[in-house]
Amino acid sequence: MKNVIEIKNVSFHYKGAGYESLRDVSLSIEEGETVLLCGSSGSGKTSVIRLINGLIPHYYQGELAGKVSVAGRDISKTELYELAGSVGTVFQNPRSQFFSVDTDGEIVFEPENIGLEPTEILKRKDSVVEEMGIERLLGKSLFSLSGGEKQQIACASVSALLPEIILLDEPSSNLDRDAIEKLRSIILQWKNQGKTIIISEHRLWYLREVFDRAIYMDGGKIRKQWRREDFLQLRAKEIEDLKLRPLDVPAYFSVLFNEKNTKDRGALKASEGAICLKDFYFSYNHRPYIFRKKKFTEADGENLELNIPKLKLPRGKVIGVVGKNGTGKSTFLRCVCGLEKDCGGIIEIDGQVYKGNYRIGLSYMVMQDVNHQLFTDSVEAEVLLSMKDKNEKRCREILEELGLFTYKDTHPMALSGGQKQRVAIASAIAAGAQLFLFDEPTSGLDFDHMMKVGRLLKKLAVSGKTVLVSTHDPELIEQCCDYELYIEHGRVLSFGEIEDRTAKRGEKITICVNT
Amino acid sequence: MITLIPIVLLIIEKHYASALRFLVMYTVAIMLTFYYLSANSTGFIAAFLVGYCGIVVQFMPSVITAWYVIRTTKIDEFISCMQRMHIPDGITIALAVVMRFFPTIKEEYGSIRDAMKMRGIMLGGGNAVKMVEYRMIPLLFSCVNIGDELSAAAITRGLGGKVKRTSVAQLKFGVADSVLIAAFTATAAIFIGSKYFKL
Repeated sequence: MKNVIEIKNVSFHYKGAGYESLRDVSLSIEEGETVLLCGSSGSGKTSVIRLINGLIPHYYQGELAGKVSVAGRDISKTELYELAGSVGTVFQNPRSQFFSVDTDGEIVFEPENIGLEPTEILKRKDSVVEEMGIERLLGKSLFSLSGGEKQQIACASVSALLPEIILLDEPSSNLDRDAIEKLRSIILQWKNQGKTIIISEHRLWYLREVFDRAIYMDGGKIRKQWRREDFLQLRAKEIEDLKLRPLDVPAYFSVLFNEKNTKDRGALKASEGAICLKDFYFSYNHRPYIFRKKKFTEADGENLELNIPKLKLPRGKVIGVVGKNGTGKSTFLRCVCGLEKDCGGIIEIDGQVYKGNYRIGLSYMVMQDVNHQLFTDSVEAEVLLSMKDKNEKRCREILEELGLFTYKDTHPMALSGGQKQRVAIASAIAAGAQLFLFDEPTSGLDFDHMMKVGRLLKKLAVSGKTVLVSTHDPELIEQCCDYELYIEHGRVLSFGEIEDRTAKRGEKITICVNT
Repeated sequence: MITLIPIVLLIIEKHYASALRFLVMYTVAIMLTFYYLSANSTGFIAAFLVGYCGIVVQFMPSVITAWYVIRTTKIDEFISCMQRMHIPDGITIALAVVMRFFPTIKEEYGSIRDAMKMRGIMLGGGNAVKMVEYRMIPLLFSCVNIGDELSAAAITRGLGGKVKRTSVAQLKFGVADSVLIAAFTATAAIFIGSKYFKL
């Protein structure tokens, strides 16, 4: 077999970075091989991907030493658009990889760029659409698609180019289980067509049957390589020591996420000091009047996208909110913290009733993109902004508690992702929030960072706050959630304590519904 | 009258709600200008209204037209159309990116507003400068990030190459287009003629 990708002694230093991102990396990949790149964030996985698609050195500038050749071309002497016909890339963030606004335009975008004949392009488009079974997505606006659907379109547009080499950079980060399954079948399809595939990924379970070779990177170097058989032999402990996410979660996953205990809906024992949610009804597309918006009630029945008559949340616990993409998890969180004005829910704490805008101060949501929630020019100012009486002593306490005090004068945007998350939490504690909502805080994080988030959630719970976390990561649920709330189509299907936390992965987890 | 053209176009493309909204806004502004305000109206409210009506009446036609263009033109069609007109690639791509960016900015702005609401700083603590600052800083940060990722993605996908780009969109310059262009040119000529060269 001939090598299609040849990387020889490459080191790379991003312009302005204080360290080398790649150190003496050598790698050759055969035609038709599927390679998995794993390792923690910042280990150089993405840089390797960028080497192969030519973004390094043509777009991201810096000092490059060594030689890279892809499909017989010397990368440093090849213009990016010449490479476009043979290397296709699926990026991590579906939001920012599109150039068109509609799905059809997106699929034909690349073939158009390399100047194929329109009739040929249409032929390819039809065959790709048929292969992937995405007829129903055609003719839609990309902004109306879910994350999984966007990623499917991204795959389709790469496919339409018929490249020999396909690169995927953490493609599953924003996907739920069903979408990941679809992604897997697309990758398998490519593999069967004999494409060379390189995947950089944190979630390993869905790739078990897919890759031929696994490459472990750390600190910009290739540390270890395994053939698939050897990699699958590794024990859970060894995988954990490498700070990788576990290889085998699907069994655990399916039990947890398919549990459909429809009885005892939201019937939790009226425990002391529980937070009670009442009358949460909401829908996005129900606007019966033009000028006066109607409040939703239970009578709207089937049209409701959120329908929770009553739900009691225990205090001081971490509650995992699970369910498929687009079944109302985010809607639920948005309604609870009062962002949707039309949702007239009531929150009761210790006999006190909070309605309408009063709910806002009560709960705080840490968004998926935490950049949106930091407004000031220093960490300290960020926390003080939330306090009505600017109490610097209290501010100091909060920052010390979260390990942020040394950064108090730093600009929030200069911090790492995890630190930003903590700053957002600090500001919410300062505002006196009781209920903390996290919208998929661990998507795209490596094992280590995910565990850190888990510990933080637990810590919040121990200090008496109630934490609701929506997630697609079974590892996170296993680590830190006390309760689990399964939402489907805006209804609570089951809610209960996760009883047997210590059950081994792969075994059936029993969910006990408290009555 | 000019305002009616894009509004009719919007109705044809089935954007009824926005057509109605624009129509109401414009009608109100025009009515106010003609019936309520006069050369000698004074006072704070009148001054405010003069400003509002002036801006709406003068700029509305072009704003609605721009809105119509962005909502109904596919980027692909836009690029191939510009290419046909032999506009340089640099300009075409820059404009295409701007068109692609409007919905993104809208999305980002929405999330930032939500975040501000949760923090209770919608009014910036009564400080107008802060109010703008809290909106603009996160917005700029996320737009810069997205823009960066977007352009990286676009060039790996072969945009901006020396190869001549093809397009599956079939665009033809029809009789209707010629008639419209002739009509508008004539109107513009008459307008300029009557205004600047007193005939």
